[in-house]
Amino acid sequence: MRRNQFLIAAIVSMLCLGTMAGAQEEGSKSVSVNAVQRLNRAPVNKQVLEVKLPRPTEFHLPNGLTVLVLERHELPTVDFALWIKSGALQDPKDLPGLAKFTADMLREGTTHRNSAQIASETDAMGATVTATAQFGSSHSQVAASGLVENTGKLLDLVSDLVENPTFPQDELAKYKTRQLADLEQERSDPDFLSMERFHQVLYRDFPAAVIAPTPASVKGATSEELKQFHDRYYVPNNAILGVAGDVQAKQVMALIEKYFGPWKKQAVSEAKLAALPAPEPAKVYLVDRPGSVQTNIVAGDFALRRSDPDFIPLRVMNRILGEGPTGRLFLNLREEKGYTYGAYSYYTADTYPGAFVAETQVRNAVTDGSMHELLGELKRIREQAVPENDLEDARHAIVASFALSLEKPATLLNYWMTSKYYGLPEDYWDRYPAEVAKVTPQVVQRVAHKYVDLDHLQVVCVGDGKQIKDVLSKYGTVEVYDTNGKPVAAGGN
Amino acid sequence: MRRELFLAPLLAVLLALAAVAQTTAPARKLPPLKFQDLHLDNGLRVILAPDPSAPVFGICMTYNVGSRNERPGRTGFAHLFEHMMFEGSQNVGKGEHFILVENNGGGMNGTTTEDRTNYFEVLPKNQLDLALFLEADRMGHLAVNQPNLDNQRNAVQEERRLGIDNQPYGKSYLEIDNLSYDNFAYKHSVIGSMRDLNDATLADVQDFFRIYYAPNNAVLTLVGDFDPGVALEKVKKYFAAIPRQPSPQQPDTTEDEHYGERRETVYDPLARLPMVLISYHIPTGNTPENYALKVLGDIVGQGESSRFYQHLVKEQQLATSIEVQVDSRRGPSMFYVMAIPRPGVKPEELEQAIYKEIGAVGKDGVTAAEIDKARTQFRRSMIQVRESDLQTAIRMGQYAVFFNDPGLINTIVDRYDSVSAEQVKSAAQKYLITNERAVVTTLPESRAGAAGGR
Repeated sequence: MRRNQFLIAAIVSMLCLGTMAGAQEEGSKSVSVNAVQRLNRAPVNKQVLEVKLPRPTEFHLPNGLTVLVLERHELPTVDFALWIKSGALQDPKDLPGLAKFTADMLREGTTHRNSAQIASETDAMGATVTATAQFGSSHSQVAASGLVENTGKLLDLVSDLVENPTFPQDELAKYKTRQLADLEQERSDPDFLSMERFHQVLYRDFPAAVIAPTPASVKGATSEELKQFHDRYYVPNNAILGVAGDVQAKQVMALIEKYFGPWKKQAVSEAKLAALPAPEPAKVYLVDRPGSVQTNIVAGDFALRRSDPDFIPLRVMNRILGEGPTGRLFLNLREEKGYTYGAYSYYTADTYPGAFVAETQVRNAVTDGSMHELLGELKRIREQAVPENDLEDARHAIVASFALSLEKPATLLNYWMTSKYYGLPEDYWDRYPAEVAKVTPQVVQRVAHKYVDLDHLQVVCVGDGKQIKDVLSKYGTVEVYDTNGKPVAAGGN
Repeated sequence: MRRELFLAPLLAVLLALAAVAQTTAPARKLPPLKFQDLHLDNGLRVILAPDPSAPVFGICMTYNVGSRNERPGRTGFAHLFEHMMFEGSQNVGKGEHFILVENNGGGMNGTTTEDRTNYFEVLPKNQLDLALFLEADRMGHLAVNQPNLDNQRNAVQEERRLGIDNQPYGKSYLEIDNLSYDNFAYKHSVIGSMRDLNDATLADVQDFFRIYYAPNNAVLTLVGDFDPGVALEKVKKYFAAIPRQPSPQQPDTTEDEHYGERRETVYDPLARLPMVLISYHIPTGNTPENYALKVLGDIVGQGESSRFYQHLVKEQQLATSIEVQVDSRRGPSMFYVMAIPRPGVKPEELEQAIYKEIGAVGKDGVTAAEIDKARTQFRRSMIQVRESDLQTAIRMGQYAVFFNDPGLINTIVDRYDSVSAEQVKSAAQKYLITNERAVVTTLPESRAGAAGGR
């Protein structure tokens, strides 16, 4: 019944870069019977429908809160997004999950409302209110959406969660019980196991190495520690608030001043981050999951910061290589070879260099073939200039897909929150299509060379060690871990 | 349950997020969506709903066939066939469909359920011809061969491994329907068995195409920024020449009454915590009783203020998560409850607590405030559908095929709102009872025998 929703959620959370798939290609090597075939007989409108993303209006409250308001009057809804410029990166090394615990507990009690009241007020409005601090993210987010008639009530509620949380002891105890069960549950998920190992081996001592709390950190976190984290970072001069929907800027700003005006300004002292480690030589890791009927393969290395000018060229490269069902990875490993249900690549980018990742899940018997093809595609995009046609398809696809983002105020708002948060130029989204158009085959090859770094590629496979360990050893020395994340002594299996 | 061609991040985001659709309206009332509903001479039902709020359109072709049409020995075939619809037709090469849609800025997918199969695209408004051409070409002239079938058989088998065989509780999700239903139509899974998938032949593909993929067995819905007159001319241009076929027989999905409680334990080596999965037989979708059970399901299971969450997760701390899903099938449907016991709690203890909550609805009913809350949540969920042209097109196609009523897109909120507290109470008394129930308890295999988990 619910299986699909779970899967989709997992994939979506990884593909935080959004939008759709990319370039096509003829079957790479000898043309197989299963190669993709282009007949070019369908009627295509060659013109890209040009759209200009509507701009929000920017306001500043005296307490330092930056506010973006985007009026969209198509349906009677409103979306709010509050980005706090601190998050899991600020977790103390001995307390992984502190930012997450803090965000999660915002809805468990304030000086004005208890947990049950928060839940019933939210649901009575038919609204959605979330507070999250994802591992590896530089910021925390509080988001709310609902019917526009409830704009004031939503702001009342959200501002209370953000400004006055109390982190009550009894709720924290219950929360810990749920968290401990979740931690146990995650270890049955092969995607979690591959991501856990991959982030560990890539980031090492840098905070982004961690993707989950530990049982010890869950058990040990105190209400006081959550409160300190909150008081230190949840301050207006360390936040951006975005609003989109069927609102008038003037009226909604009056409400925002009413509810967020009293929020006290305060100097923020950022925790000093550990240095990003130098990239390690390429290596293969196996997470032994007995009984696994598939091998989950994840291969990647460091990508870039969100503000890096290579972000757009890398997007074009990735579209050709592995974004969606027209990427080379999908067309090769699924459509041509039939090894998998899906094969994709993506990259993340934040205030620190994110990761480039290529991934697929394949039946045990074709683990070798899949490793060969996946690594082969990474090699090919580095070594061979992409054909001009493939590149044109990719550029065209990226620019044309902008029209679709006009459907949803939340999507539009996210563009502007991104450019504001990462300090991108004011005209970033206006110039985006032109920047995409500038990408040449040489540029694609340059960014492929730089960010698909085979000499430092970390490969993590989750699967049944008895069946796949020998195969993997063809690709390098294999370091083995168990599903609890513990190293397995060499020779033992 | 639903299977789909591939995991589409964009479309999933479209499903999950929120946004635009009609003209400005006063709060609360959702502006009705105006649409034309007509048939071409070959029987193709065409539904056109112009919505100029964003320069895009959503298109959905819904075929009146799903896994309920499958016969024993060919389970999983409707879904496997769905994959074959992307393998090429007279004027579209293998895989070219992906390329044409995505390279022009769009998104697409195909999905199969027990009750229908659909194919959909969302594109910038200047690509209407492309979308219509692609759907018409494969409806009129599918071209598949043995290597393509073998290839997609592999992809589907990997889909099964990924989604079921390699996941904790995968087997349990299949087992609950197998245990609950007696009629083969809904008893077997959409994904099918590995063995049946292996047995599917090219002749099966060709037969299935001939029987079910005819214009008179499909509904085309188009929602978005277009001129309806122009769009209708284009629809005729691309589809009018596709010949009508004899109407396929509709399967009998009826279930015999008097089930009695059924129970099963699944020992799952991939699971680390037990799970309790409960199903109750309930009436077909779009009936007053089914709506009453939807309201009930939302009151006990939707949101953190729901009874299950507040009582079982927060107050009694018997579960760490609990979810409710109420089906609205074309035939006998199911009310599902899925719960993970808190470590240390016995699954049967949690199970009894769930029955107590359900029993309380049957005994004392629900409050006016709970009904109001459920109505507001439902209205908002329908606004979220309307925010996306594609989601709207998908829903209207489904409503047309299931209930012969695409206008349900406008009236479903009223139907939901018309449910009274009394109806909720009597639905609980009548349907959520021991005799209508099946229960699958999953235990981590390594801890079989120690039913309490850890």
